[in-house]
Parts: sequence; C-alpha cells; structure tokens
Amino acid sequence: MTTAIDIIGNVFFLAGILFVFVGMVGLMRLPDVYNRLHATTKIATLGTFGVMLAIAIKAGFSTMGLKAITVGIFLLLTAPVAAHMIARAAHRSGAKMWTGSVTDEYEEDNKREKESQT
Amino acid sequence: MRQYIAYALALGIVWCFVSGEASILNFMVGSVLGILIIWSLRKLYQPDEEVPYKNILARIPKIATFFAILTIEITKASILIAKIVLWPKLDIKPGIIAVPIRATKDVSITAIANTISLTPGTITIDVSDDLTKIYVHSIDASDPEALKVSIRDKLEKYVLEAFE
Repeated sequence: MTTAIDIIGNVFFLAGILFVFVGMVGLMRLPDVYNRLHATTKIATLGTFGVMLAIAIKAGFSTMGLKAITVGIFLLLTAPVAAHMIARAAHRSGAKMWTGSVTDEYEEDNKREKESQT
Repeated sequence: MRQYIAYALALGIVWCFVSGEASILNFMVGSVLGILIIWSLRKLYQPDEEVPYKNILARIPKIATFFAILTIEITKASILIAKIVLWPKLDIKPGIIAVPIRATKDVSITAIANTISLTPGTITIDVSDDLTKIYVHSIDASDPEALKVSIRDKLEKYVLEAFE
C-alpha cells in the first residue's frame, strides 16, 4: 500500500519537474513577452501544482500535506491573474510583438476607438 | 451580513489549512481573523447583494464538471505547448484575437478570462469596454475562427452552466 502511494507520488513529482523544465526552456527559446508568458506561467503552474500534489500524496493528511494543497490551490487562482496583468501592461506600454505574429485585433480595435473619439 | 459570516467561516477553513492544524480552536481563530479581513475589505464587493445559498448548492455538481473539464484541457494544452517548446524548429504563429463572449455577469466573465489564461497557449489580455469581447493572445493564431469556436464550445459552455 505504501509503495503504491510512493509510486503515484513519484510519478506526479517527475511530471511536475518535467513541466517546470519545459517552462524554463520555453522562457529561453520563445521570442516576445507574450509567448514567454505562455511558457512560464502556464507550464510552470502545472509543474509546481504537480510537485505540490506529489507532496500532498506522499505526506497524506498531515501538516505538510494540507499546506501543499493550499499552496497549489492559491497558485492556480493567482497565476492567471498575474499573467493577464503582465500581458496587458506589456501591450499598453507598447511592447512590440514578434515579427512572425499573424494578427493583432486588440491594436486594431484600440485604433478604431481612438479614431471614433476624435 | 449573512454573506460576511459565510466568507469569514470560509476564511477560517483556509486558515486551518494554511496553519496545518484542524481543530475547533484554530478554526475559531481563523474565523475571527476572517471577519477582520472582510470588514477591512468590505468596499471591494457589495455585501448588500444577497446570494441565495440554495442556488450555490444546486450548482456544485456543475461547478465540479467545470473543474474536471478545466483539468483535462490544461493537461492537453500543456502537452501541446511542451511539444512546441521542445521541437527543434520553432514553428509558432502567435497573434491577438478578439473573441466574442456570451457571458454578461462579472463573475462568469472573470471565470472565462481566468480559464483562458490558465489553459496554456492562450492568455487573456483585456476585456472590451462594453464587455462583449475579450482579447486573447494565442501561440497559434493561424486559424482565428477555430480558436473562437473552441473557446465557445469547450470552455464558455461550462462556465455559463456553472456561474450564470
């Protein structure tokens, strides 16, 4: 029984570490702010959540397990808000999108709004 | 007032989790702290607007399906992004797309925006002033129509069922 729990915990642990690693590789490889946010905030979120889940499974309903679950839930609640705010601030302060980008309907709509106001 | 107490008790449970000790005394300490926190932040939400508890209880199964779908979507999309990142040749077509949404309530718009941000490959950038569109940055914007349909059918449907 304990070995089964250990194996499941280790699987989640490995998956989490793998996703954190992929997130960091993405941070270095992808071009602009927005694409890097994809890699770091999301994949790293899943990675950290995986690690927390592994801790919770291994530690069970002890002090450490409960804390790990809480950290994981708060991470899932706050990470998207942070990503959204960084992306919005970047766009508003005029961070250029990568040259290979296909569309920017946000910029188009903003321009249209300014024109209609003047 | 009733909502104050409900929020305070919820914060009390969170306190138990964070301090890692589930006892009645600890729960009471957390609830008292919760009342202080909610009292000091009361201007941020309208406690006058009473939400019937029955509605919340009836929605729990739908909210549970929503979170199950969310987990599956996050895992699927994470694997997709991992593939893009680890592929030797960087093959991405990023772009910002305006996605029309049907939700009207603040709660559901927030839920949709956060869900989109949480799903790897897409980030919410802004909501239009009239709350009819959200701007989404996608790592693969080569087919905007497909993205709109996938957000509408896969994510928004469940958000609407759970929160509207």
